[in-house]
Amino acid sequence: MTTSEQAQKPTLVGVPELAQDMHHTNKLWVDAWKRLIRNRAAVVGLVIVILSVLIAIFAPYIAPNDYREQVLTNNNSAPRWVIDLFPNMKAKDEEGGWVTVSEDYILGADNLGRDLLSRIIYGSRVSLSVAFVGPMVSLAVGLILGLVSGYAGGRVDNLIMRLVDIMYAFPTILLVILLMAYFRATFNASDQGTFAYRLNQIDSRFGGMLFIFIGIGLTSWMNTARLARGQVLSIRQREYIEAATSVGASDFTIIFRHILPNILGPIVVAETLTIPTYISFEAFLSFIGLGVNPPTPSWGSMIADGAGAISSYPHQAIFPSMALFLIMFAFNFLGDGLRDALDPHMSRT
Amino acid sequence: MRNITRVVLLVLLASMLVGAFGISGAQEAKVLYVANIGQDDIPHLDPGLAEDVASIQILEATYVGLTTLNEVTVTVEPGIATEWSVSDDGLVYTFSLMQNVPWVVYNTDSGAVEEVKDADGNVRYVTANDFVYGIKRTLDPNTAGPYAYVLAPWIVGGAEYNGGSGSADDVAVAALDDYTLQITAPKATPFLANIYGMWMALAQPQWVIDEMGDAWADEGTFQSYGPYALKEWAHDESLTLIKNPFWPGTDYVGQAKIDEIVFLLLEQSAKLAEYEAGNLDFMDDLPTADLDRIRVEYPNEFTVSPSSCSYGYGFNTEKEPVNDARVRRALSMAIDRQAITDNILKAGQIPAGFYMLPNLTAAPSQEDYPDLAIKYDPEAAKAELQAYLDEKGISVDELPPITYMTNETDLHKSIIEAIQNMWRETLGVEVQITFQEFGVFLDTRKNDAPQIFRYGWCYDYPDAHNFSGELFRSDSTQNDPNWVNPEYDALVDQALTENDPDVRRELYAQAEYLLVNQDAAMAPIYYYVETQLTKPNVERTLSVIGRERFEKWDIK
Repeated sequence: MTTSEQAQKPTLVGVPELAQDMHHTNKLWVDAWKRLIRNRAAVVGLVIVILSVLIAIFAPYIAPNDYREQVLTNNNSAPRWVIDLFPNMKAKDEEGGWVTVSEDYILGADNLGRDLLSRIIYGSRVSLSVAFVGPMVSLAVGLILGLVSGYAGGRVDNLIMRLVDIMYAFPTILLVILLMAYFRATFNASDQGTFAYRLNQIDSRFGGMLFIFIGIGLTSWMNTARLARGQVLSIRQREYIEAATSVGASDFTIIFRHILPNILGPIVVAETLTIPTYISFEAFLSFIGLGVNPPTPSWGSMIADGAGAISSYPHQAIFPSMALFLIMFAFNFLGDGLRDALDPHMSRT
Repeated sequence: MRNITRVVLLVLLASMLVGAFGISGAQEAKVLYVANIGQDDIPHLDPGLAEDVASIQILEATYVGLTTLNEVTVTVEPGIATEWSVSDDGLVYTFSLMQNVPWVVYNTDSGAVEEVKDADGNVRYVTANDFVYGIKRTLDPNTAGPYAYVLAPWIVGGAEYNGGSGSADDVAVAALDDYTLQITAPKATPFLANIYGMWMALAQPQWVIDEMGDAWADEGTFQSYGPYALKEWAHDESLTLIKNPFWPGTDYVGQAKIDEIVFLLLEQSAKLAEYEAGNLDFMDDLPTADLDRIRVEYPNEFTVSPSSCSYGYGFNTEKEPVNDARVRRALSMAIDRQAITDNILKAGQIPAGFYMLPNLTAAPSQEDYPDLAIKYDPEAAKAELQAYLDEKGISVDELPPITYMTNETDLHKSIIEAIQNMWRETLGVEVQITFQEFGVFLDTRKNDAPQIFRYGWCYDYPDAHNFSGELFRSDSTQNDPNWVNPEYDALVDQALTENDPDVRRELYAQAEYLLVNQDAAMAPIYYYVETQLTKPNVERTLSVIGRERFEKWDIK
């Protein structure tokens, strides 16, 4: 009977048996918050995430230049400190050097004379939108399917879970590549007035991000659905659900008022932990040319552009890579911290 | 145990000594490592089926045409035909072939190039009949040779046979005797000797093709007679040519000086890395991003030479809003070509005012016809677009969406991003950029081209006709802009049969004016150059035709 004792313990501490008791609920989140800010790595992650969000929102005020602005004569130029930073870069005024020195840009310019820093700043908009929209799509689809599947059980459950299995069988990256290639090829060529045409118009207005959202959304909800179903199964037999059923609460009420609030914690944690995956997905797609449309800057496409010039102008690939690296780290630390904070029985493992 | 070790050591030592003497005894073979045929495997090493630069490069090293093209002066020179005569009406060409040139094949077992022998053990020499067979096989509709269309119109009965309506017997190519070949053309043009020397008009070894079908053109069975023979073909990886000692050599196509040439199939940045590591002697197509560095780090190995290709954008003249010539002219005039060649391409590419390359026979140059060529002119561009907008009563934001399409390479992407920005800043026109894989892109361009698409062309034979009548005549299969102008058709038709080069040049200048300026179906952008790196110990000629003549090269 030890297992049941262990299972009950966190129920007493963490999960509010009486969801109506607002005090209790608040205390849970306050506790979680306290645990989170005690975790130094998570706080650093949180600070970086908040900073990047601010940078993305206020990009036009922060960026020194327009991300599209080209000064072709400044192509591939770099300021002195960047040239000194990379041992394989040599300034033009040195013996055997080739890099144009220009102090116009803090991090230098790309091959079309566009400010790298401004492009990195604007590029955060793409990465962060994916970081937030990706989980939203995945939650919207996966959570609902998982809840329905777990709550209804039987044939519905079977059907949804087999669908999940089928989707899982596809290699995700391959599926996303196929989807993106399909969207780009067919929607671009669609006739005026059709739905596909309108979608393509929206997509090009957002610089190509809509298709990335759809592509990622369609391939990432399975995990959430499985997790949600498992959580529902684990609390469906609880007394308070029985109580709610016995007083005649509707299925809708039970799912959304009684079950959902109690399974949200682990799901939020799981979603936060997958955010870096979404970001790297977007970077990867843009890297292979299936992501955002030029000239919209994305860190992935900037790395791809810079990679071709890595032996002559390493700064063009290294700086966007560092930005990507930083944001991935931040989300990973924050995700770990959130998991520890919201899942108390895992905190000391 | 100790004894065994000793014996092994002794044997090893002895073999090393023998090996050392063996090497110092024989003269060291000259091997050249090159990367100038791209990264994809060669599709067809078959004269009847070849259509890409890589196949043609290998074919031109292993075969010799009736005539050859001098790679430096771009003039026609004798190939395996030592001389030829043309009838007074310019229609009948009679070629006298070299005698005693044997067909050869590389024997993988003996490791040597050997003469091909027939069933009776007699050496097979290249004869006029091999050319008759080769030309008819290329034209055979069942061969489906992609370049048959270039040859077919220039031999009486060729177009009919290739089109499926005529018969092989009616093709006017005949062997008068073993070493005399006669070809009759339906109309006289100045570049016939060029066409008859091209790879699809080479001799072909009937006996092996009859036996093996299309599979003959591979390692071990590939027969040829030129300066080199095919030694090894590791598909998707490399291809090795070995010197053919039986090619007698002429003043124009000499015997090979380098014993073996290894062609490595490498991607652009990979081959630069290999070259910098010392594993390659020669490479072409340098990555643009590294040009500035290469220029200062390898000043004596870096060469730039004119190329055989032109780079431009085509407009689908059937799609809104580029179905109006004013919009097309506005877009074309808003492209600052000089800024692109100076700051993005950086290897001395020339901004193009005509689509046609200026160094072709009878091609006009933009310097001689400055008023006919299209130029960067932002003010005129704005005025043209405004006139269109006023007539339609719309603002620039209400223009139907414009899509540009290309296959994705770093270079194409940089160029369109720069031009996209020029269009935005000069005209306020937003253009969406899309990419497709190369093969798919070519199909899209042919069947349902977007408003704007990349259109590059490299000449097959250096005459203006190859860049005009064969591309943009209204019935051409290459006319992806779907542009129809009877005046243009009449001009290029007239130029085709005209013999006076100055008159031809004038006609082509007028035709180009219609194409790039008045109707602006094409926006020429620049003329390519070849960028290459060659190790200093390699002696070479500087080719301007896009292929190398390796038999003239040597290693010091």
